[in-house]
Amino acid sequence: MGEKTDVWQGTLALMALRTLESMGPLHGYGLARRIEQISGDRLQLNYGTLYPALLKLEQEGFIRSSWGLSDNNRRAKYYELTKAGERQVKKAAAEWEQTTAILARFLTPAEEA
Amino acid sequence: MPKLRALWLRILEMFHPRLGDADFDAELASHVEMHTDDGIRAGLSPEEARRQALIRLGGMEQTRQAYRERRTLPWLETLWQDIRFGLRILCKNPGYTAVAVLTLALGIGANTAVFMVAQAALLRSWPAREPDRLARLIATTPQGEEDAFSYPDYRDLAAQSSSLEGILAYSRHVKMLRVGAESQAVRDDLVSPNYFSVLGIDAQLGRVFSAESRPDNEPGVVICDSLWHRAFNADPLLVGKQIWLTNRGYTVLGIAPPGFRGLERGVPTDLWLPVATEYSSQELADRKSREFEVLGRLRPGVTAAEAQVELDTLGRRLALAYPAIDKARNVALISERERLREAMVPTLILMTAVGLVLLICCANVAGLVLARADARRKEVAMRLALGAGRLRLIRQLLTESLLLASLGAAFGLLLAAGLLRLAPALMPPSEVEIGLDLHLDASVLAFTAAAALLSVLVFGLAPAIQLSKTSLVSALKGEGRGAVRGVKRWTMRNALVLGEIALSVVLLTASGLVVRSLLYSRSLPLGFDRQRQLIYFDLLPAVAGYNSERSAAFFNQVEEKAAALPGVRHAALERRVLLSDSGGGAEQRVSIPGVELPQGQLNVPIKFNAVDGNYFRAIGTRLIEGREFTSGDNPLAARVTVISQTMAERFWPGQEVLGRQIVADGTACQIVGVVEDAKINSIHETPEPYMYFPFAQMPSDYSTLIVEAESNPKALTARMLSEIQRVDRNVPVSVRTVHYLMKQAFWDDQMAAGFVGALGLLGIFLGAIGLYGVVAFTVNRRSREIGIRMALGAERRDILRLVLGQGLTLAAIGAGIGLVASLAAMRLLSTMLYGVRPTDPLTFAGSSALAILVALAASWIPARRAASIDPMQSLRTE
Repeated sequence: MGEKTDVWQGTLALMALRTLESMGPLHGYGLARRIEQISGDRLQLNYGTLYPALLKLEQEGFIRSSWGLSDNNRRAKYYELTKAGERQVKKAAAEWEQTTAILARFLTPAEEA
Repeated sequence: MPKLRALWLRILEMFHPRLGDADFDAELASHVEMHTDDGIRAGLSPEEARRQALIRLGGMEQTRQAYRERRTLPWLETLWQDIRFGLRILCKNPGYTAVAVLTLALGIGANTAVFMVAQAALLRSWPAREPDRLARLIATTPQGEEDAFSYPDYRDLAAQSSSLEGILAYSRHVKMLRVGAESQAVRDDLVSPNYFSVLGIDAQLGRVFSAESRPDNEPGVVICDSLWHRAFNADPLLVGKQIWLTNRGYTVLGIAPPGFRGLERGVPTDLWLPVATEYSSQELADRKSREFEVLGRLRPGVTAAEAQVELDTLGRRLALAYPAIDKARNVALISERERLREAMVPTLILMTAVGLVLLICCANVAGLVLARADARRKEVAMRLALGAGRLRLIRQLLTESLLLASLGAAFGLLLAAGLLRLAPALMPPSEVEIGLDLHLDASVLAFTAAAALLSVLVFGLAPAIQLSKTSLVSALKGEGRGAVRGVKRWTMRNALVLGEIALSVVLLTASGLVVRSLLYSRSLPLGFDRQRQLIYFDLLPAVAGYNSERSAAFFNQVEEKAAALPGVRHAALERRVLLSDSGGGAEQRVSIPGVELPQGQLNVPIKFNAVDGNYFRAIGTRLIEGREFTSGDNPLAARVTVISQTMAERFWPGQEVLGRQIVADGTACQIVGVVEDAKINSIHETPEPYMYFPFAQMPSDYSTLIVEAESNPKALTARMLSEIQRVDRNVPVSVRTVHYLMKQAFWDDQMAAGFVGALGLLGIFLGAIGLYGVVAFTVNRRSREIGIRMALGAERRDILRLVLGQGLTLAAIGAGIGLVASLAAMRLLSTMLYGVRPTDPLTFAGSSALAILVALAASWIPARRAASIDPMQSLRTE
């Protein structure tokens, strides 16, 4: 996977939201590692691209951030879902499922002919 | 919603750019540290771990940049930067900025003012609900179109039409409103009861006339908001009270909403009365008296064409039913769309004229911007060399132009508002209030903004593109300041100035023609002697409750008093004053025994006046043959008439006229005299038949006493007024002088001359600035060349000639183009011109000579400067 951020932005945002939903508050680095792990290391993202995406989500009111201490006693900025964010995860996930389902119909060979 | 929130936050971020940066730097640092920690834990050396962390991040600076672009709005940020930079540049060159802004303000202001006038006079729709469905009804006759209908004809149309859901009628008059001891003239409309309901207008206070009400006993009046404030201090208890109009009391029914001043542009109505309170039912049944203007409202979904078909039928039915009166007449409908289409032609002419001025202004500013751009070639080249994109550069330069235009538009609006204040002084003289409803509104602001944007495209785009094409190497090396570099730029600048001079020649030619037309109009014979000191006293004894016998006695008494006053050469009575706003229009239907009238009509309408024996002598109308009226032409004697020359030639060409008979409104009169034609309603009317009857044989309850003073009309006026007061102080008198009437009569021509003349002056003024700019710029650029020439022995005279020659060549070519363009353009003016052909060679020669003269003056200053160049110094600075 390259830096195709245009394809990325939407999906990356959904991944981040979904991860925050299941894991609770995370800092940027932790979130990036987590996304890689969940993808089974099949995603190799530039960690830097995560931050503008997080900023966008924050500006849109889906997540909020605050400074805290990490497990290793490092100061780090933590992100967590807002109420609006929780609603957004459900909405975006449903939309995504629908999109992939439709796309799947095009990609699998037609059964009834 | 989230998108909006994000946008809002990004805009807010722009105001404290540094704050977020520090926060994100800390976040990035902690990210890298944590990643490094993990690397060390996995067994890497600290340096290697940090290197890996940075690689996975994708670069510190790249991440920061991506983050920053998301945090704020980059394009808005650059725009803001451009604006600040532009403002700095403009402030650094206050002279350049002032001239450019002033030039643009003149152009934009003039356009805004003219647009406001065009909108108020031509474009604005009826002041009514759903004005698109309103349509004016007019009568078509073999003589042309007429506005006026008789009330019975109107009633028939209103009753029979099904395509129009309502038809209203109104007739305009002037009354004297008496508040306390003072009287003032007010305009009243006599209206059909459904007037307000067809328009869809309700009172702001009280009520309007209802279509059903029959106000038999108590006459009611609706007054306009302005009069309510002016005359009654906006008295909230006025409704239900009585006010005195001319000779009767009227109950105020209601106050019309603010801004509603009737249906006639430029002549605002003060109050409205139902026809039934003013006219008896017999008078309203008179099909011959046509004084009502008629407006209809189309039923929803009915097109104007469909309504026209129906009106055609109704009109023909009327003509069949009343052949004696309505023969050959039909009814036509002018829909709102058609009215607008007709209004477009004068609007376009107006806007084109004033648009030309804006074009000249833009050309001028383009010249200035080009000159400035030229001086900035090094700066631009430097920025290009440092990696600025050309588009970015064009945007920066356009932003500067936009700033200039915005400032120009702001000052232009101020200018237009100033002109607006001047507007009442520019209105023709009148006893009652006149004037267009001019005000700034959203459409005017939109127009101004559009004009400013358009000017940016005209004056800003070309220089910006030109500048961004700057060749790096030659600019940095300081080339282009030598002899003949940048030929392309020259042609373009020269073309601009050529265009300016050509345009100003066109405008000058137009003003020359209009002024000559005015001079010609002033020399036209009027049929009376305007040099005499004539004073007109308009007498309204009916207001004081006189009947016609008492009025006649009153008039005679006043005339005798006047004739007896020292300093009075003549005194005379007349019914209508020539060339005044109440001067004509009333006609009698005349049939002529033994003469066949055109189109088989039984009679023709002919305008008339009633005058007494001294009238022709007093105003100086020449008697061609026969006699004037005498005291013998009294009510008991045989009816007589004096006719105009044109009437004599029209009906009895080459024959003896004296002693013949005409029948005017059923009364046979003998022609006893023929006088020269006089102008009845306007200076430019073609002479038409006109009749005079003896004042004594045609009594009326109003009259005008004309006094010809030997000298000092002011003192005589005062004495005359007190004489009239002594006869009866209750009779209202108003005074006019021949000077006032002349001002009124020549108003249109004078305004046209003033307007076009002002444009012409503005044009040549701007042209001069433009030419000056070009020549001065050339001198700057050629200073080294001039220095060399002088070093090689050129005299100051030669340099002067060189520079002046450049200016004059441009001016001569421009004037030539302007003359050719004028030949085509002046045809548009031909309907406005009297006594001068649109191709008048004298005017053409004059305008081009003036343009060349001004060009000479404009080139003189830079030429003198060029001639005073010190060759040593100019060579050294390069």
